[in-house]
Amino acid sequence: MSSCDINECEGKYDNIVVFMCNECGQGSANTAGVGRMPYDPSVRIVRVQCTGQIGPIQIMDALNNGADAVSCVGCCIGACHFFNGNLLSMRRIKLMKKMFKELGYSDQFINQYTSRAAEGETAVGDFEDIVERLCTAITEGGTFENEC
Amino acid sequence: MNVKVFQFNGCNKCFHETILLKQNDMEVELISNPKDWKGEKIDVAVVSGYLLPEDKEILLNIQSNANKLIAYGDCTTTGGIFGLANQKGANITPISKIIPESFKINGCLAEIEELTATIKGGEVDKPPSLCKVCKRRSTCEYLDEVHRQIDIFENEEACFNDLGFLCNGYIATECKERCVDYGTQCRGCKPIIDRSGVRMLGMFGTLMGNVEVATEASKYGATDKLADKDDDMTESLPDIVGNFFRFSLPTSGLPKGRIHSKGSILENVFTGRLIEEFPLITGLLGGDNSISMTLSIIEAYEKGAEIEVNEQTKQYRQKLRSLEKELKNAIDAQDAEKYKDVTEKIRKIAGNMNLSNVFYGGFKTPIDGADNFDDYKAEPFEIKEGTYKNGIVEFSIDSKGVIKEIKIKEGA
Repeated sequence: MSSCDINECEGKYDNIVVFMCNECGQGSANTAGVGRMPYDPSVRIVRVQCTGQIGPIQIMDALNNGADAVSCVGCCIGACHFFNGNLLSMRRIKLMKKMFKELGYSDQFINQYTSRAAEGETAVGDFEDIVERLCTAITEGGTFENEC
Repeated sequence: MNVKVFQFNGCNKCFHETILLKQNDMEVELISNPKDWKGEKIDVAVVSGYLLPEDKEILLNIQSNANKLIAYGDCTTTGGIFGLANQKGANITPISKIIPESFKINGCLAEIEELTATIKGGEVDKPPSLCKVCKRRSTCEYLDEVHRQIDIFENEEACFNDLGFLCNGYIATECKERCVDYGTQCRGCKPIIDRSGVRMLGMFGTLMGNVEVATEASKYGATDKLADKDDDMTESLPDIVGNFFRFSLPTSGLPKGRIHSKGSILENVFTGRLIEEFPLITGLLGGDNSISMTLSIIEAYEKGAEIEVNEQTKQYRQKLRSLEKELKNAIDAQDAEKYKDVTEKIRKIAGNMNLSNVFYGGFKTPIDGADNFDDYKAEPFEIKEGTYKNGIVEFSIDSKGVIKEIKIKEGA
């Protein structure tokens, strides 16, 4: 473990790709916008129809093209608007996390979250968690490019 | 036609397979040490074996002298099975990073028919997907659990993946080795699509739709998120890199691994792999020693874990060992007829040149209709933690069956 702490990771990342589903994910981001809730400016939202569309190929494309962290935000468990897309992408991301661990990287820079369309703070809370985890990954020296 | 075959590093099975080109009225010369090659004009250069960045100069020299450059075998085209060492920081390079415009023939073992057609310059038919020719049929229903070993005769119609037995056939084309016919899952040595491992990971992740995945409450906003702890998903697939990226780690777009190197390249390839995949991996990369290497590893584990082996199995193994010696003689004599004859005999017992049929405790599929298959049938075995030793190899596995440490004596 290196000596730097989480505060030192500021400025070490500028691209966090977040795939948000068109229903609850994007809905909660809209609600957050209406409520003028601030969140980290590095977060780049990509709107997708359902997080079930996102798999290892899309995540690897994002990471190889300069993303520091990639996350999916979908509907709550059991509330997917397309039957079970959020659960499927959760499983794929879980396998990817295991794969990165096997390659000697941190598994903290990819993850999947859920949010509620009516509550903007769920989306903002997810973004805060993504940033916190990315900082953990950077301090542990386990991301693609950044390390302390 | 003047053909020269160059062997770079690693396993030399593909290199020796090119002896068969002599049957086609070609002037073939096998060069096992390309560093000493002076350089002269040639019609076709065939390159086999895995490549390192320092081989670039020799390769460029070969390219400038040859009218046509063909990369033969997975090790050259995609990094192959030795590419798994990149997980531990090695720098195995696929040929496309050094010479992008070469012809590529995938496969482990790569097919000689395809090489002959490419040398002659004719059109090579694109083979169909493996699933189209496989006798098992897939329904793509969600799995409740994943099995690392199954009894393949219990259900001979359902796809391995439907039975929870990870098979990479979805992303592979038909091939000559056809591991799936010998009770061994396909590992995708002839991919039908680029970045095959990453795609297969997504596919299998989807198939695992009913396997439990751990979630936890997010401390912000009180919603759920993916948990960090181990769950059924990670427990059931202990070696994702080795099983999904068996032949394509350097070309899959994944970053180079940061795991500490374990020593030699073979040790790096083997560490982290699973005990039930061990015989196939040694069969794949053992070169002309693959039979003795595979059998000594199997016997080491059988002895340590007390797996019963009967007389018929021992006889077949003895026959395989003597065939290996005959094969070496045929290679030394550069005798194409004899080489073909011996490999056919090996294929009859071991299934294919990757020894897919050979397993702990016996063989996976019947060899000869005249014997009683129940005598030498390989059964799923229990994983036993410990250290195993036999002759040139010594390895230790943990309670999940992952190889933690391995030592292979030099010259093996």
